[in-house]
Amino acid sequence: MFEKFRKKSPWILHYNAGSCNGCDIEILASLAPKYDLERFGIINTGNPKQSDILLVTGPVTLKSRERLVELYSQMPEPKVVVAIGVCTCTGGVFRKMYNVKAGVDRYVPVDVYVPGCASSPDQIIDGVVQALAILEEKSKDIEKPKRLFGELTNNSIFTNRREMAKKIKHEKN
Amino acid sequence: MKKTINIPYGSQHIALLEPVRFQFETQNEKIVGVKADIGYVHRGIEKACTSTFEYKQIPSVVARVCGLCAITHSLTYVMAVEQIIDVNVSEKAKYLRMLMVELDRIHSHMLCLSHTAENAGYEALFMQIMADREIIMDIQEAISGNRVQFDFVCIGGVNRDITDEIVKFIIKSLNELQPKIEDIFDMFENNWSLSLKYKGIGAITKENASIYNALGPLARAAGLETDVRAESDYYPYEKIGYKMILEQTGDIYGRNRVRLREILSSIDMIKNILCDIPEGNIIEKVKGKPNGESVARLEAPRGEIFYYLKGVKQAMLDRVRTKTPTFSGIPAMVEIFKGQEYGDVPAILASFDPCMSCTAK
Repeated sequence: MFEKFRKKSPWILHYNAGSCNGCDIEILASLAPKYDLERFGIINTGNPKQSDILLVTGPVTLKSRERLVELYSQMPEPKVVVAIGVCTCTGGVFRKMYNVKAGVDRYVPVDVYVPGCASSPDQIIDGVVQALAILEEKSKDIEKPKRLFGELTNNSIFTNRREMAKKIKHEKN
Repeated sequence: MKKTINIPYGSQHIALLEPVRFQFETQNEKIVGVKADIGYVHRGIEKACTSTFEYKQIPSVVARVCGLCAITHSLTYVMAVEQIIDVNVSEKAKYLRMLMVELDRIHSHMLCLSHTAENAGYEALFMQIMADREIIMDIQEAISGNRVQFDFVCIGGVNRDITDEIVKFIIKSLNELQPKIEDIFDMFENNWSLSLKYKGIGAITKENASIYNALGPLARAAGLETDVRAESDYYPYEKIGYKMILEQTGDIYGRNRVRLREILSSIDMIKNILCDIPEGNIIEKVKGKPNGESVARLEAPRGEIFYYLKGVKQAMLDRVRTKTPTFSGIPAMVEIFKGQEYGDVPAILASFDPCMSCTAK
């Protein structure tokens, strides 16, 4: 039953990890009547424990990356991450700056990359709709009896902050 | 001594567009102390401007400080560079720059108003204002080719010319927008349940606004006369019918009124600009490397933006310093929060229109 509702009304969580606001206001614009992302049953929520899709904007500054991983680990499975904007995908203009490393996919696994500076609402809607398909696939994958097929392996996704600190040493120069 | 409770607000919150963390110290429901933590968006743009990028590339780098007031950042930087290397910008380029700044002001104010309405619990009004805002976004796309990050200005002028069809399109769209803004004005003015959330809440007096360095609509709502458009004569704002807009109440209601009246006056100014755009080149040739110091300032949607540059006859600049309106206004914001109810915090915060990516750079 949950599967059906998840597909019909996925909730999104938006986190700004150091972006310039350009993509954030485009996300707001795509929720608003002209583009109307809400026609897919999507609601913007502030609670990670109730959301299915994480929209990340910004090149992930050193101060915000722990919050990002924390938010990601609080979201229930299945979950999809959409990286919005070119600086989220690769670092963009901020790539070589001292408080920024390159892109979001160093910290959380990303499913859909949406390029553009700033990404237009059309692109964002396209990205989120692709994410819906991936979400459906993932929720089917969860219900598969993995131990029966011998597929149970450890994947290298951080589940909490302490684990992340163990794997990624704080690089200070 | 009563016991106080600390309530964190942020860094991720439904009412916040950007990561910022407030630590509210409360007694029952009253706020007695506030601490703000603003460094979440710090990327190090000032350092990169002096170490990675050449001075001709910087206009599009500083535009990425903030997506809402992108044009004002790159324009203020460009004005400062033009003072050092002695480029005289043509009148036509100045008019086109003013046009884009005023359009930017309209869409930024509308975003702030919609956000204030949403945080007061009016989801429908939020949707209505966001829908009307698309008219301005379409105009910006027609002029510059992009909706948000338009790298419209460059050193020596502007990058794109404006055609007759675009002028007609802008005037038609603005005539469409004006009655819609008046409707929204009526809503903010006369709606009883909105007035409960707005009137008398988050107020600041004129003296305090002056002492704690309030800027932009925050100061003008309290009756403090501060506006760079009136103070500097770099752009011919008197010619196109600029009037300073003041309110006396100083609360959220006053700030909303200032923003709405500024939108209406900006629409009039844009119409005047379009009537008398002079003939001429849009871009001048730029020679030489910057040598010396200069400052420039401009009225962004949130207040005064200030740039200081120092060049040493090289392609890289020696120092780029940015002072942004939200950063200067933080003492005033902290002062306003004291003595308010905790439940009003989202609406008060949205009415400041804080821009954290400007603040942290």
